[in-house]
Amino acid sequence: MDPTLVWGLIAGMAITNIVVRAMPIAVMSRFELPETVRRWLSYVPVSVMAAMVALEVVKPGDRWQITLANPYLLAAIPTALVYRFTRSFLGATVAGIASFLAFRYLLG
Amino acid sequence: MTVPAPTASFARGVKLGMPVFLGYMALGAAFGLMAVSAGFSVLQATACSALVIAGAGQYLAIRMIPAGDLAATLLATGVVNMRYLLFSATMAPYLRGVPRWHQGLLAFTLTDETFAINAADARAGRADRFSMLGVGAISWLGWTLGTLTGSLAGSAIGDPKSWGVEFALPAMFIALLIGQLTGRREILAAGLAAVVALALSLVVPRDWALVAAAVVVATVLTAVR
Repeated sequence: MDPTLVWGLIAGMAITNIVVRAMPIAVMSRFELPETVRRWLSYVPVSVMAAMVALEVVKPGDRWQITLANPYLLAAIPTALVYRFTRSFLGATVAGIASFLAFRYLLG
Repeated sequence: MTVPAPTASFARGVKLGMPVFLGYMALGAAFGLMAVSAGFSVLQATACSALVIAGAGQYLAIRMIPAGDLAATLLATGVVNMRYLLFSATMAPYLRGVPRWHQGLLAFTLTDETFAINAADARAGRADRFSMLGVGAISWLGWTLGTLTGSLAGSAIGDPKSWGVEFALPAMFIALLIGQLTGRREILAAGLAAVVALALSLVVPRDWALVAAAVVVATVLTAVR
């Protein structure tokens, strides 16, 4: 592929990405935000994580899998339990991968 | 309360980010493989990951760029990454008084995964700017190293999916979500967001459903209080 095109793409993406990610931090960290805005923002992380988990588990790879033969859905249960009782991210991730492989194997 | 030393905080962040490192090694390898087969050199593929770190945006770019329309490709990848405006805004209150260069590095390494970890850690009152940098650094390393590996090895590494690593990041998000469910409001927010995101994903692309669900839930719960 034309190297100019590829390098132009990389430069353009690098610039848009840093602008989009840095602008709100740069502007909004300069002020004490109003209480209402801070409360609004405080709901964002838990909402994003729940939305992400729901999409990853029920619609993995952007395909609906609303069935009990879904290894993503089944493996979510041991993953959640391991984290609940050990509070270890790495432990939960490893347990998640192991149970995902096991369920995928068992389900054929 | 004692403030941990920067190096200790940074090391703690690196440890927190290990699941991301694992997941990014695999996803980065997959990107490297695809980029090379789309006509990128090893250097271009690796530079793209090292300078851009945008998973979905990069996958989209290598699908679109062979058609030769740079402007359209940049526009599309820019739109895919608009969610970072929201994530960046959410992190802003935790970064007051942090030096500009440090804010810049944190913004540069802001991804779905580093955001999830750092936001959860910050809400728990444990994160500081050095732990956040540790999370960002190890994640960047995983993504870049994964891409280099994938673009060098090509198809010789086989299908990363056979190792089950595609569940690494979902597993991490599940753990982060469980850690966030600290009270009734959080459980309510999570339940609502899951339902709204799935419903919206019927009509809009996945990334939009994600952002829209967070905006709707935050607005509703802020209003009804």
